[in-house]
Amino acid sequence: MRYARSIGLIAFAAALSTMLSGAQAIDDQSKYPNLKGQWHRASPNRWESGGVKAPLTGEYRAVYEANLKAMADGAPGDMASWYCLPQGMPMMMSLYDPMEIIVTPETTYMLISHVNDSYRRIYTDGRDWPAEGDYELTFAGYSIGKWVDEDGDGKYDVLEVETRHFKGPRVYDGTGLPLHHDNKTVIKERIYIDKANPNLLNDDMTVIDNALTRPWSVTKKARRDSRARPMWQTSVCAENNSMVKIGKDPYYVSQDGYLMPVKKGQAPPDLRFFTQSPK
Amino acid sequence: MPSPASIRAVLLVAMLCATAAAQAHDESKYPDMTAQWVRAHQRSQWDPSKPRGLQQQAPLTPEYQAIFEQNLAALRASTHDVDPQVRCLPSGMPRMMIAYEPLEVIVTARTTYVRVDHLSETRRIYTDGRDWPAQVKPSFEGYSIGKWIDEDGDGKYDVLEVETRHLKGPRFFDADGLPMHQNNRTVITERIYLDPKKPDLLHAQITTIDDALTRPWTVTRDYNRERKPLWPEYLCNEANHHVIIGKDRYFKSADGLLMPIRKDQPPPDLRYFNQAR
Repeated sequence: MRYARSIGLIAFAAALSTMLSGAQAIDDQSKYPNLKGQWHRASPNRWESGGVKAPLTGEYRAVYEANLKAMADGAPGDMASWYCLPQGMPMMMSLYDPMEIIVTPETTYMLISHVNDSYRRIYTDGRDWPAEGDYELTFAGYSIGKWVDEDGDGKYDVLEVETRHFKGPRVYDGTGLPLHHDNKTVIKERIYIDKANPNLLNDDMTVIDNALTRPWSVTKKARRDSRARPMWQTSVCAENNSMVKIGKDPYYVSQDGYLMPVKKGQAPPDLRFFTQSPK
Repeated sequence: MPSPASIRAVLLVAMLCATAAAQAHDESKYPDMTAQWVRAHQRSQWDPSKPRGLQQQAPLTPEYQAIFEQNLAALRASTHDVDPQVRCLPSGMPRMMIAYEPLEVIVTARTTYVRVDHLSETRRIYTDGRDWPAQVKPSFEGYSIGKWIDEDGDGKYDVLEVETRHLKGPRFFDADGLPMHQNNRTVITERIYLDPKKPDLLHAQITTIDDALTRPWTVTRDYNRERKPLWPEYLCNEANHHVIIGKDRYFKSADGLLMPIRKDQPPPDLRYFNQAR
């Protein structure tokens, strides 16, 4: 009988131990999907693709056409990244260079080695939107996320994110497709591993912006690099950038180190502060 | 009175629970470094314990001491561009650890990340036991391998020991043009640890081994933890008032016009423009 009681206690001990380790491990990385590794773009970088057109307002369709014309003439239009400024959201999620995702309970980081080391910080610590003065407007915006266990298996499947508080100018892609210059964009995302392919990441993005007639949803995809230890490189934009902005005008610096116009008939910069005449 | 067998069983329960807790709390093995860290030194010369410039007493070889003096003279006279930061090029290692803007440390089991907002640099310090890779493309921040050390044997890591190689240049120790060798064969070893008495104080003891130096040079830099961090984007190209055209540097006025940086500096050559302003 004495042994029976001990056996019972031991069984209880084992059960308790399993429960405890299980419960505590849930607070551990095992509760989160495996997002480790290096992620490469696996969908078109253009937002208007496959016959899909941006639901731009008439005013912003005209801004887009002006950007297209400016870029055809060699000028950057609304493309801040021509001057090595960040692409910002949502363009950065097109992954012009690879992305690394770091998941911690409080924050999920997205490090993207494009236009220097761009990054997003998605707070998952249950915070509310910060009060005025407790944040700064950024190209990447301020992101609050929530991990969701959709199938109830005790593991998170989806990271739901909302991003606000932007600065600009920002565009969707390299064609100069514009977001509204008021920068009041709100972007909602559902980020999750593909159920059929653990090496495919989906980012269902919905953009709410005053340049649009309705919310616009597009899914961006990323593929995990198969190498266990992929190489990471920093894209140093300033190293190879030949664009300079003087006043409001863009210019090129030629290979041989001379200032050049970006379009035919462009006037040179104003040199009123120089006492000597140009060569 | 409980039987000895029951006591043993209860002890076993306690033991198993403790084991479970130890396994589940793997994170607790690491020091609490994941935070925003702001440099504790007001001035940004490389060795914060000494005044800037020649008073740094850097153990430079005579050749690189001469280069340093030329750089100081050039900076004073604005005759040529010394500091790569005026082109928005990254500081690289070890200068990025000056933390001109706050740095963020993110500790995970396999990698410790050091993100520096100034010029948007990220270090990955691999702590997964890897060896040096056969081929590495050199970078400003280099390739870093780290090892966590439990120095006092209490079952918790105290120190992150790091070695960094595979660097590219140009790199300087600080803004005064204190040079590193142009062969970029620098090796940097670090000991990064929380102050044993002040958990909100981080130390980085940084030793630089470089062919511009006559001996390894060790400097300790300190950082204060910011409990309520703001994370602005530091956009060098947005705030940069320097314009580099060929080998010449100019300044942009507040209204965006090109200006000379020294008296009687000639304006840029406009040979590619066929129109007067």
